[in-house]
Amino acid sequence: MLKRNTRLRMEYLYRKSLEGKEREYYEKKRKIREALEEGKPIPTELRNEEAALRQEIDLEDEYTAVQKTHIDDEYATASEKDPKILLTTSREPSQRLGQFVKELKLVFPNAARMNRGSQVISEIIEFCRAHEYTDVIFVHEHRGEPDNLVICHLPFGPTAFFELLNVVTRHDIKDKKAMGTMSEAYPHLILDNFSSKLGQRTANILKHLFPVPKPETKRIITFANKSDYISFRHHVYEKHGGPKSVELKEVGPRFELRLYQIILGTVDQQNEAQKEWVLRPYMNTAKKQNVLGA
Amino acid sequence: MAAAVEMEKEEESPMKKGEEALERLRSADPPLYLTQSSEFARDARAASCFLFSSLVPFCTKLPVDRLLVEGFDAEQIWYQIDLLSRPLLSTVRREFKRLEEEHHSRAGLSTIDADGDGEEMVVEKDEISVDDEGDEEDGDESEEKGSEDEEDGEEDDEDDGEADEEEEEEEEAGEAKGNVVEDKFLKMQDLENYLENAEAKEYGHPVKKGSGRKEKDDDTEEEEDDMDLEDFDSDGDEDAELGANARYEDFFGGNKKKQQKKCGTVGKRKRSSTELDAVDHFENTDEDVEKNDSEQKLLSTHEKELQKMRSKIEEMEKANLDPKSWTMQGEVTAAKRPKNSALEVDLDFEHNVRPAPVITEEVTASLEDIIKKRIIEGHFDDVERAPILPSKPPKETKEMDENKSKKGLAEIYEEEYAQKTGLAPALLSASDKLKTEATMLFKKISLKLDALSHFHFAPKPVIEDMSIQVNVPALAMEEVAPLAVSDAAMLAPEEIFHGKGNIKEEAELTKEERKRRRANQKRRFRRLKAETFKRAVQKTGQSAVPGATNEKPDS
Repeated sequence: MLKRNTRLRMEYLYRKSLEGKEREYYEKKRKIREALEEGKPIPTELRNEEAALRQEIDLEDEYTAVQKTHIDDEYATASEKDPKILLTTSREPSQRLGQFVKELKLVFPNAARMNRGSQVISEIIEFCRAHEYTDVIFVHEHRGEPDNLVICHLPFGPTAFFELLNVVTRHDIKDKKAMGTMSEAYPHLILDNFSSKLGQRTANILKHLFPVPKPETKRIITFANKSDYISFRHHVYEKHGGPKSVELKEVGPRFELRLYQIILGTVDQQNEAQKEWVLRPYMNTAKKQNVLGA
Repeated sequence: MAAAVEMEKEEESPMKKGEEALERLRSADPPLYLTQSSEFARDARAASCFLFSSLVPFCTKLPVDRLLVEGFDAEQIWYQIDLLSRPLLSTVRREFKRLEEEHHSRAGLSTIDADGDGEEMVVEKDEISVDDEGDEEDGDESEEKGSEDEEDGEEDDEDDGEADEEEEEEEEAGEAKGNVVEDKFLKMQDLENYLENAEAKEYGHPVKKGSGRKEKDDDTEEEEDDMDLEDFDSDGDEDAELGANARYEDFFGGNKKKQQKKCGTVGKRKRSSTELDAVDHFENTDEDVEKNDSEQKLLSTHEKELQKMRSKIEEMEKANLDPKSWTMQGEVTAAKRPKNSALEVDLDFEHNVRPAPVITEEVTASLEDIIKKRIIEGHFDDVERAPILPSKPPKETKEMDENKSKKGLAEIYEEEYAQKTGLAPALLSASDKLKTEATMLFKKISLKLDALSHFHFAPKPVIEDMSIQVNVPALAMEEVAPLAVSDAAMLAPEEIFHGKGNIKEEAELTKEERKRRRANQKRRFRRLKAETFKRAVQKTGQSAVPGATNEKPDS
């Protein structure tokens, strides 16, 4: 197990190191392809290698034409298997946090909740790897209000850190009988306004927490981005009068997420791993920037 | 005497003219006031002159004893009237007060009220605008009523006051056309009052309450203030000689101070003939008392300003020397400032972070709209299963044709037999042809690949075709070995070996045999050499070596 892990890690790092060279190569092929398509002369710096590259271009198929980065690698095989999620909290959670985590367990299909006890994070990660979990989610709080969410994808995957705001839990809404139980079908996803590259990456991370749904499910989970604040909403819809009328019923907790860090490693590698992106709120232009899109 | 009579006559006729003019004005219709008629203006001037001169005896120390109208502006005429009317008003007011008190002791409140009303009416007259002709008319009437209410003792004063007011009004009416600046909202008198009050406040004078507003308070002080400030006004209107004689000492008297006492100074003022003398009087009275009291010193504007500046400078210097307040100091922790002081101060710093969104109804509604739109479109961002690369070729499922075979069984057998024997050629359908071709190609390739990849023997694929039979000995045909095996490996050692008989190594040879071998070698060598020599000679046609003959060399 250990040896396998080491080997996998070595492979991963090797592929990552090759990425630079591969990127150059890929770029050259791309330029030639473009030149050919547009009918323009091939750029002079590629004249020598042109023949060999052209042959390769001819032999390309859809898999080899796109450059695979180590970032894609993390989610390359994710669509083949359903995700398996472990939910846990910070140490000594309050009752409110416990309620919130229980609700989250119902939101994510195929999720399991675990008491934190006094486990160390590296232990938890080992456990998850052994039991073939794909993601771990940690929820932290401040005086009862959940305020932090850490989503760690497992084999070596990226970890995204979010800040939670405006949390409204199902428990807060008094009239439970009117709401009824929460549907646990595999939901449809709506990811709105994740247009930048970083936005796409975040959307990817959030997307792969959910399995492939059936096309006709009535349950919808929305992540809507507006000026870097992602709103999470959970609805169940019905189409009463014909195809154009839709009635939404809000179910489940609602909160705003704000991404502040993505690291290329698991949670226990927080100090050593490379930081893909970190929020910079004290920059003078921080107010004007929309990092996640639009 | 005659001159005196004439003078009298002259004086009288203007008086008469003035009266007539006044009458005409009074009887005129209100709209006429608005029209621009020079006659009307002349009448107005004449009337004002008349009224002025009739009031002159009641007023002390006027700069002029008659109203100067020829060649004077409306403003200037107004100022002149003002000069006359102000002291008059104050006297009238005093009289009222006195009489009121008498009244109050004798009669009830009603008369006082009536008086009060009358007074107020009178007072208000000052402020009536030029445009309100109707009001003026009403004012006239009310004034008259007021005057009727009053007691006899006051009548003269009242009348004077009235006349004064009327005069002022008519003056205003007459000059309405000329005086563009004044209207319902802006009154020069108001402006002046305000300015005077402000100045009084600034420079430490007791506040002047305006020229008619408060009747019962500090009239005398006002009077004195009026006097002082009127000096400035009058300066503009007065004749040149008076202006030329005015000096700093006249107004401010250098170090001499004056105490503004109430009645005494008024009395003094009334006694003196000219205003300037009065001023001097003021200055001279209380110098001893006031020397030490800087606050009540009469200062010029410049001095006042200087004083202000000085005090400001002192303040600022003091502030600079003191330790700064905590808001002005650099980094201040909670320990260094008073408790809860940060709550009181309006701390202002730029937040570079967009604040968290407040979730309102509209926000929720907009989100739901987006969701509904997506649902209707059916456009979701779900995870999609990646297509798995096929590892096995798709199975060929032969479709069973379920229709009944058209051919009978006998016919089928017939066809088969015919094909086998060769009577009928095998029908090759297109797919069959392609299939055979494909299989052939594949077999060739796989044979080559097998040869490359492993040494295991795999026989050549049997290609059934009508090919020429080579007439090769059977052994050759059957001699099959993998291609990788070279021919050398297939041949027997005898077949490779060229030599004959008993082979002996060098070490095994006896002496004679060695000799024999050497002799053979020599023989061979010579023979070879000779042959080559012959050939060379034949080629060149002459001996290659000079002096050499064609003789055979002796062996």
